[in-house]
Formats: sequence, C-alpha cells, structure tokens
Amino acid sequence: MVVNSLAFLWFFLFVMVVYYLCQTKKVAQNVFLLGCSYWFYSQVDIWMAGLLVVMTIVFWLLGKGIYHYMEQEDERKASLLTTIGVIIGIGALFYFKYLNFFADSVATFATFLGFHMSWTTLHLVVPIGLSFFTFKLMSYVLDIHHGKVLPDNGLNGFICFANYIAFFPTILSGPIDRPKPFLTQANVARLFNPDQLMTGFRRVLWGMFLKMCIADRLDIYISAIWNNYEHHSAISILFASLLYPLQLYADFGGYSEMAIGVALMLGFKVAENFKRPFFVLDIASYWSRWHMSLTSWLTDYVFLPLNIKYRDWGIYGTIFAIMLNMTFIGLWHGANWTFLLFGIYHGLWYIPLMVSGSFLKKRKIKVNAYGWPKQQYVWKMIGIYFIISFGLMLFHSATIGEFWHICERMTTHWQGGLFTDMSTMVNAAICLIALIYVDIQEEWFPKFQLPLPQKFNHWRWELTVSVEIVAILLFGVFDNNQFIYFQF
Amino acid sequence: MKKLLIHILITVGLFFVIDRATGLLLKHLYNQSNATSEYKIGYANAETTEDILLFGSSRCLHHIIPSVFEEAYGMTCFNAADWGIKNIYYHYGLLGNILSRYTPKVIIFEIHPCDYLDTPYSGRERAGSLAPFCGMSKECDEMLKKSGNYWPYKFSTVYRYTGSLPALLFGRWGSMDRRLKGWKPLDGQLDTTGLKAEEFPFPVHQEKLLLLEQFIQICQAKGIRLCLIVSPMYICTEQDVFKVPRNLANQYNISFFDYFHDPQFVGHAELFYDYGHLNRKGATIFSKKICNDLKDFLKPSFP
Repeated sequence: MVVNSLAFLWFFLFVMVVYYLCQTKKVAQNVFLLGCSYWFYSQVDIWMAGLLVVMTIVFWLLGKGIYHYMEQEDERKASLLTTIGVIIGIGALFYFKYLNFFADSVATFATFLGFHMSWTTLHLVVPIGLSFFTFKLMSYVLDIHHGKVLPDNGLNGFICFANYIAFFPTILSGPIDRPKPFLTQANVARLFNPDQLMTGFRRVLWGMFLKMCIADRLDIYISAIWNNYEHHSAISILFASLLYPLQLYADFGGYSEMAIGVALMLGFKVAENFKRPFFVLDIASYWSRWHMSLTSWLTDYVFLPLNIKYRDWGIYGTIFAIMLNMTFIGLWHGANWTFLLFGIYHGLWYIPLMVSGSFLKKRKIKVNAYGWPKQQYVWKMIGIYFIISFGLMLFHSATIGEFWHICERMTTHWQGGLFTDMSTMVNAAICLIALIYVDIQEEWFPKFQLPLPQKFNHWRWELTVSVEIVAILLFGVFDNNQFIYFQF
Repeated sequence: MKKLLIHILITVGLFFVIDRATGLLLKHLYNQSNATSEYKIGYANAETTEDILLFGSSRCLHHIIPSVFEEAYGMTCFNAADWGIKNIYYHYGLLGNILSRYTPKVIIFEIHPCDYLDTPYSGRERAGSLAPFCGMSKECDEMLKKSGNYWPYKFSTVYRYTGSLPALLFGRWGSMDRRLKGWKPLDGQLDTTGLKAEEFPFPVHQEKLLLLEQFIQICQAKGIRLCLIVSPMYICTEQDVFKVPRNLANQYNISFFDYFHDPQFVGHAELFYDYGHLNRKGATIFSKKICNDLKDFLKPSFP
C-alpha cells in the first residue's frame, strides 16, 4: 500500500477519524497510531513486522540500560551497550543488505588471486524500509548516550518510542527523523488543528504531483532509453541522463512531501528531506539540500566523530573523514559497486573545496536588481547539474559494466537523432515548468504570490488544491506505484 | 471544525467547476483532433451515420478502404477500427455507443485473436479508450466498469482525457485525412529478413468469447447484417487460430470470410508494410477483393 493509492486514502481517512476522536487521551492516541503503523507495515510483509517488533524491543531495552549506567556514571558499560546497539543495527543491515555482496566479492577476489573459494548466494528478503528504521534505532541509543534524549520509562514511553520507529508515513522511505523532536511531539496529545491539516494536505498533493506527473512520466521516457541503451544514440542517452536527476528528485522528493504532509495531518512535524537541491554552486551545498535527513544523520554520527578523531592529520583527516562519509552514503543505497563508486565520485568533488578552504563556507548565489541569480552563478549551477547527472549515471546503472558500456556508447554513437516520444515529453515538460516555477519562487521570491482578484484572494488554498487535483488527474500516470527509494 | 468543513465544501465546489470546465475544453479539442486515435475513436463513437461500419484492430484500420464499398454499392461506409490492439471490450462498448444514436445496416468485423484469446498484451484495459464517452450507453459503461476505471471517469471529466493533452493540443495537425473515412494507408514495403510466423499459444478467454457472442446477438436483434472477416498475413502459423470465431459464425448463421492464408497475399512482400499489415497497394487489392466477395452478403442491404 503506497501513499498515492486509493487503498491508502481509505486507510488514512479511517485513521484520521479515530485518531482525532481520541485526541484528549494521549496514550490511547499513541496506542492507536502504533497499531495502525504495524498494520500498515504488515501489509508489506507480516514476518518483517515481527523483526521490527524484536528490533524495537531490543533497542528500547538497550536505551534503558544505557541511561541506567549513565545515571550511575558507569561510562564504560554505557559505551559498551551503545556499541552493542550500533553493532546490532549495522549487523542487521549487513546481514540483509550486504552479506551476499560482500561474500561474492571476497570469493571473486580470492579466485582472482588463485585461491578456490565459493559462495552460495543466500536468498534473503530485505525488509522494506530497513535502511531507514535501523538508522532511527541507532540514533536513539547514540542520542541517549550523548545525553540528547532521556528515555521515558513508562508504557507510554515505550509506545512513543515504538511509534518513532514504526511511524507509518515515514517507515518505508524516510525522512529519517531524529528521536528527540519526534518523542517530544509524541509525548503530548495531538489536537485537531484545521490549519495543520490543510497545510499537510497541500504537501501531500504537491508530492503526488511530483511523483505521478513528473517522476512517473519521465520514467516512461528515461526507461525506454536506459533499458535499451544499445539501440539508442549518444544524444538520446545524454538527454535521458540529464533528465534522470529530475526524475529522482521528483520521485523521492515527491514521496518525502507526501510523508511529511501525512505526518503533519497527524500533528507531527518530521524532518525535511529536500530543499531545491539543484540551486547550488558546489557538491557540498548539493548534499546539504538533497536527502537532507540522511546527510545530516551521517554528518552527525559518522563524519563529525571521524573528523574529530583524525583532526591531528589536518586537512588530510578531513578529506579522509569526508571520503569515508560519502562512501557510506553511496553504500547506504545498496550493495553494489556502482553505489560505492557513486559515493567515492561525490567524495572526490569535496577535495577541491577543502583544498581551496571553501568547504564550510556558505557560498551565496548573488542576485541582480530584479532578484534573479546573476548569469555567472547560473552557469555554475548548470555545471554542478552536469556533475550530479554524471554521478547519477553510476547510480542508475545496474553494474559497472553497464555504466561503462553506456559511457562508451555516449562517446561513439553520435549518429542518429534524439529519441522522441512527443506525448510523454510534452506532458513532462508542462509539469517540469510548474516544478521549476515553484522552486524558483521559493528560492528567490519567497514572498511572491500569484496575484488573484480581490474576491478570490481568501480562496487561495481552495483554488490551489482544486487546480492541483485537476492537474494530477490530467497529467498523472496512474499505473506506476513503485517508488525508486523503496528498494533502499 | 466548521471552518474546515467550509474549506472542504468550497474546494469540492471549485474542483467540480474547474474539472467540468476543463473537461468541456478537452472534449472540444478531442472532437477537433485529426490524430489517429482521437479522430477514429471520437468519430466512430459519437458521429457516425454511415450504412456500413468496419470494426476491428489496426489490421482493419490499414486494410479496408471504405470508398471502395461506397463506389461499388452506393452505400456510405466508415472504417471505425483503431490501432493499439483494440479488442472485443472496446468493440462491444463502441457498438453500444453507436446503437444509442442510430442503427447501421451492415457491420463488417475484422476479427483478431485478441478478440477471444487470453493474450497477455490485450485485455480489459483496452476499454479505457471509451473513457471520453462514459455514460453514453449501457454497454460502454459496462466495459468501463470491467476496465476498473468507471467510477474515476464518472467522478472527473478531466480524468477521461488523462495524459492526452499534448495529443489534443496538437491534434489539429494530426495525420488522419478525414476524406479517407477512417482508412489509414501505410506506405512502404516489408523487409522480410528474419521473419517468423506469429504464434498464438493462448487459451480461449471465456469473458471475451461471451462478449463476442453478445455482440453477434445484439446485431441480430437490431437487424444489422454482420459478417466476420480475417485479413491476410505475410507469413502465417499452421495453427488453426480462427477456429473459435468460425464455429461462432456457424452457430449464429453469420458469414465468415477467411483470407488468412490467401495465396494472393501470403508471401507477397510487395503488398505488405510489415508482416501483419498490408501497404497501400495491398490494401487497395484486398479491399476490392472483399468488396466483390461480399456482394451476395451485402445485397439485401442495397439501397
């Protein structure tokens, strides 16, 4: 059951009604929410819901243990329990996502060196959302250890924590929320708030527009080329590669918008995930706006500790920390050499920033008298977009071999024109114009609003919602419910 | 709560107005379109007044020239077939829509295995092409219900045209020549390299078969002369693909004209555009041939 389906609509309407009927009873509201979250997750795989329960209980007990030893000022035992928590989290990720890849790679390498080694691939079903909820579980124990979160010992405390892990709007594909803001909100009753409901609903609709009208529409064109690249010209492959970042942005950004919107309708403000990621002048800024909840998680729990640990190495320590951090970001997406290279590729783009000393400096895009970005900055943004697009070619390729063949074809097969699918291209282009308009407006003209006649001005929300629904019905693709990031 | 309800009511009202107004505009563009599908589907469902109607798949669309029949018999004729492997789900709904306006004298149905076999590439979803005509006839609505989208089409007029705005905007410059009365000629000659006969290893689809029977029964009840025909292929399978419609024709005592293995066409690359579609020259020869062969069948309908 995905967020943009009719089944979800019925499910969510039911949840909303009951949820707000028990708005005065905090515990009842949380118990109901937890039940709904588990029911939602068990629709994907009931056995994996069992794993989720076990992991939740284990980490809850670990959290209690860590806090207990922290109170007794037994840092050694608290650290030990934290380490156990991190090992369990990474172990679960490793077992389900990376074991086959790692063992296969070792066996291949051993064979290459002349040793005989074989590995029978295990048929493991990766629990959907694993990469998202294990990061939440680990951040819980780490934050307790760092004194950022105080575990609540009561039953409601456990239910709040279980809700944090299994919260149905975000469990499948994020955003990866932090424990403190979520638990603080879960600890008070969420009262019916029409304004929050309306804002949330608009975000859901915008997410649906991004997903169904842009991502799924572009997918028709891009897949037609990418899945048959050996029959397409370099110009078509190049064009599809340049469109892919937009597809991914609309797909994952769309999902994030829907998740944030649904959460908001339930009274929760969860972490933002995207902030107009292509309006940037360097790769560091790009990662501060793309999949922000993952980047900030890895920055806090991987990059900063590493950077502190290796600070004696000076700039080399920072480079080492960032390369490792970016490699983790790459590998987080899956067990594949393409993801590893994707991470390293992005890490390499940080080196010039660090060498030039502009790594942590905020580079602002200067605007002209009309408020638009100056020309030289536009060129730089386009340049960064090309760099991102090339990196995403690695991300998009199933194997290094495929990536290599595609690059080879892009340099040799310049004969043959651009593959055109006029209907798909025009539909997507119209919707992309809307996306670019909204992003430009939010980035550079945040106070601007489309002028409406005076008497319609207080109907702005209603008009926007109606037009958005009509646009989704007119431009949307209704038979593709698969989100790219569900596989991660 | 009251405030929220007011917002919801205004939104529903506005949505209804915007949806219906946009739907009207799209309908206008649809009717003006000369793009193949929009013109063919639009005209066939809502505008035909011809004596003879040709039903079928893309093979019918490219193979049968209405003007040949008009010149030979002095009856008006329109080729209502469309491409995109339309099957009986579409044809049944189309028949309902036509009958809600008038009763043609003759229907020539160019039958395709997708009209009765359980193929993976042509199922209930083909009825979706009838979306702009939701509510026009009982049969049309029945088929839209089977396609699973009847209620969304009822709910939103815009949704009936989903994804087709570009085709509608540029439809005026579409490739259909309205003077050809629904026939779409193909120019070019078949490249025979590596061709193999198409096989149909699929079981009979009981629902499709039932609809095909009902199609025949409705035509007979309305006094429409109906015949089934099968067009030639460049290369044919040995399998008796058309046994089912032949038996059906016998059962209901309707004419069945089978040109699938016709030696005048089979193996003649110069008459084909691809292995399943005749080119302009092939279509002209084929149309004249069936026009002549159908003389006795058409005789009772002569003006």
